[in-house]
Amino acid sequence: MTGHIRPFPPDDPRGGPHAHPCTHEPGRTALTTAPVTGGEEPIGIEPATVPGVQARTPWQLFLMRFRRDRLAMASLVFIGLLVVLAFAAPLIAGISGHDPNQLFRQMTDDFGLPKGPNGSFWFGADASGRDVLVRIAYGTRVSLIVGVVATSVAVVIGVTLGLIAGYRGGILDTLISRTADIVLSLPLLLFAIGIVTACGSSREGCFGGAVKPGLMLVIIVIALFSWPYVAKIVRGAVLSLREREFVEASRSVGAGDLTIMFREILPNLISVIIVYASLLVPQNILFEAYLSFLGLGVPDSTPSWGRMISDASGIFDVAWWLMLFPGIFLLLTVLAFNLLGDGLRDALDPKADR
Amino acid sequence: MRPRKMGTWALFGALVLAGSLGLAACGGDDSGDSDTNGGDNGAAAAKGGIYRVGTTDFGFNGGFDPSGEYLGWAWDLYSNLLTRQLTGYRHTEGAAGVELVPDVAESIPEPTDNGTTWTFTLKKGVMFGPPVNREVTSKDYVTAFERIGTESVVAQYGFYYSDIVGMKEFKEGTSKTISGITTPDDHTIVFKTTKPIGDFGYRLAMPATGPMPAEVTDCFTKAGEYGRYVISSGPYMIKGSDKLDATSCKTMKPISGFNPTKQLSMVRNPNYDAATDSTEQREALPDGFEFIINTNQKDIFDKIEAGEYEDSVDAVPPDVARRYSTDDALKDRLKSFTDDSTNYIYMNLGEAPFDDVNVRKAVNFVMDKDALRRAWGGPLYGEIGTHIAPPTLYPGSTEFDGYDPYASENNAGDLAKAQEAMKASAYDTDKDGSCDAGSCSGVLFLNRSIDPFVKMSPVIRESLAKIGIKVQVRELPTGPAYETSGNVSNRIQIGANARWGKDYPDASTFMVLFDGRNILATGNSNYALTGMTAAQAKEFKVPYPKGGVPTVDADIDTCAAAIGDERAACWVALDKKLMEEVVPWVPYMFGKNTDLLGPAVTKWDFDQFSGEAAYAHVAVDPSKQK
Repeated sequence: MTGHIRPFPPDDPRGGPHAHPCTHEPGRTALTTAPVTGGEEPIGIEPATVPGVQARTPWQLFLMRFRRDRLAMASLVFIGLLVVLAFAAPLIAGISGHDPNQLFRQMTDDFGLPKGPNGSFWFGADASGRDVLVRIAYGTRVSLIVGVVATSVAVVIGVTLGLIAGYRGGILDTLISRTADIVLSLPLLLFAIGIVTACGSSREGCFGGAVKPGLMLVIIVIALFSWPYVAKIVRGAVLSLREREFVEASRSVGAGDLTIMFREILPNLISVIIVYASLLVPQNILFEAYLSFLGLGVPDSTPSWGRMISDASGIFDVAWWLMLFPGIFLLLTVLAFNLLGDGLRDALDPKADR
Repeated sequence: MRPRKMGTWALFGALVLAGSLGLAACGGDDSGDSDTNGGDNGAAAAKGGIYRVGTTDFGFNGGFDPSGEYLGWAWDLYSNLLTRQLTGYRHTEGAAGVELVPDVAESIPEPTDNGTTWTFTLKKGVMFGPPVNREVTSKDYVTAFERIGTESVVAQYGFYYSDIVGMKEFKEGTSKTISGITTPDDHTIVFKTTKPIGDFGYRLAMPATGPMPAEVTDCFTKAGEYGRYVISSGPYMIKGSDKLDATSCKTMKPISGFNPTKQLSMVRNPNYDAATDSTEQREALPDGFEFIINTNQKDIFDKIEAGEYEDSVDAVPPDVARRYSTDDALKDRLKSFTDDSTNYIYMNLGEAPFDDVNVRKAVNFVMDKDALRRAWGGPLYGEIGTHIAPPTLYPGSTEFDGYDPYASENNAGDLAKAQEAMKASAYDTDKDGSCDAGSCSGVLFLNRSIDPFVKMSPVIRESLAKIGIKVQVRELPTGPAYETSGNVSNRIQIGANARWGKDYPDASTFMVLFDGRNILATGNSNYALTGMTAAQAKEFKVPYPKGGVPTVDADIDTCAAAIGDERAACWVALDKKLMEEVVPWVPYMFGKNTDLLGPAVTKWDFDQFSGEAAYAHVAVDPSKQK
């Protein structure tokens, strides 16, 4: 991201947002589209005029602010640990000697009810006699993959369409905006149930065999329902940015539409996109859990927290561990991503009140 | 989750039965040993009190209109409490409960004219409840058959009666009456059939054939409508029936005691004369019944424990069952009886690798049936299945005692034997006992997405993986799963979404699932495609294996035409042939119905015919109710 937010030189006497017509506005966050006037930000705007104060780039400023946010830092550490857990899942399976899909007869009783935590099954077993700890570790992969990939897909689609809609306006804007409205007004879960059922009913899958039930379908469904949020926010921001002087200036020196959209406007949207994406990730992790809870997510052979919680729902008063452990992981993960998102927003947008 | 919903299973295969039934053995075991479970709690069973039953959902699939309703529990209500057919059952557990006995008929006649004419004499003094208040006559049974022949009523199992002379003409509208059903007088009814139907007596015990007062039923010719106005001919009536103004069609408003989304209440029918009935069939001890919808299943079982309900329609959850069965004080209140259903995994005989009988045998050997049963809740919820039709359908036969062609230690699967079978298959090219052909990967496995079905997926996946068959699991809700497996062009290779229950106690009601002539492009229930011909495969646009598909059509025809002991032996032989030579299924469990009884229940029995509680033989002690 440093590549896009071009810092203006701290020693530049002309230091100010509008000093260069073709320079992007540094330090500005597109969370608000109100014009930013020079000198509004006391820190780092005119470093040269305040003796004894060290000059900092916006990146440094961001890092400084972010590091001060202990919750966000803790969240970042937790997410880091989750990533490690996701990669180390086979290691955990290896150490415990329990494959995620291995059925242990001794871990269920004659009523098919699971047995709780013990020395070799730290988090107990599920109703099929599988190790909950190992499955949670593997489930981390699904949650993170869905959260990150579906969000990335949604962001790429949303940003592209939002840019086009906001910048070009007219019929394209109408088309994209109304499509977004339509997607947002689709009954999301019903639609998901329908599409998963349609794709699961034949050997080939659906759309001529392009899509089969499983992780990919989940990602597609989630991305399909997430991009309009991104597109709408981006479009709104672009609408005001495109009237700004630096865009005018760029156009006046002969820049094409694509250049303006992606080289001039887009960099100004980076912070809003980062913040929004970071808040979309936990939402999408939850969405995957919902789908899996309803039996519409990944197949049973791929451990998923949502499905584990679903499996627990009928028997949780005799098998608390089935609900508790995946539930805690889901809760903490979503919380961590949300806190991280908040932290990013605060750090990128110093104007926002804490 | 209700283990016994006839409609759900039978509906899809139902259309087929017509040609396949011949003469049935009507003899059977004459033990007369009813009420085996009476007097559970030591207290004397006495009249009085209200018997309250909780259920998460009535689940009616025909609006509770007896002409169309195809739900096992609804059949239970009609035959125990509400309506009286010509023939019936004792409403008790075991062989005695599936032996046909006369109900409104004086006796079960021997057919004449080479088995095509059945003459029944009706008992005198059987009365309709309010507001009809008149004697049930032979014409009221004719009305029932006319409703079955009326398309708009949607008699879901009307195919059982299509061989009555004149039914076809009546259906087509070319005749105003069914010529094969005549009533020489008010207490005689004569049925003529186009061919001998030995098990016709069983078909007359089904609720659609019960007496219908035309003055009421003529007002309701759309599917399910009459369900809100069912007039009693049994010991109980729907509460509020006496308030029904039956003077004209316009004045009738639904009977107040039945709200399909809340409650069904029954009180005594003041016109019921116990002298026309037998206590062996109906004791009718409580003063009334309340069937209450409570969508919180946990609450239902809490209320039973507290004495606020007496029973439930839903199966007892395994965690509740565990607590009761391990507590000596509570043990007797937990009931579990076989409900004559088979839970099975089907294999598509037209698709590789299951077009090879050795692969199908290997699957039978390797399957961990014990783990599958544990997915359902363990031994309380079923016996390990070892053949096609449940043993109760072979009354008096010892042929299946200890029968298990795919036996394994603890029913957990026998890998060595499975590998041996697999080695004989062309799909195991290196003969190491593990399928290595391309067709063994990505095998499409269909299952339901609801509990307890989902709990079977890992077991089946892991069992099959041991012999090199790698499945891709597809899980769908119950309805879509049935539609998917019933559509031949979907080419589902193996599936566990199915169960099958009897319509009446004859093995023919299971063997129709293997009749190649019944394979339908959609709505098919012969999921294994047993007996599919090359021509059919072409029609359905599915591949036809080089080695062909085994057929048992001829065996089915032979057995259906057989009578008496020969008939029973014939079905037994066919069952074994299917298990050992054709191998279209892995039958893993014969289902059981579980009930939890409240502290006020003083008498209880299980109805083997409907596979649910025998409400005709229950009693409560109101002083113990809350």
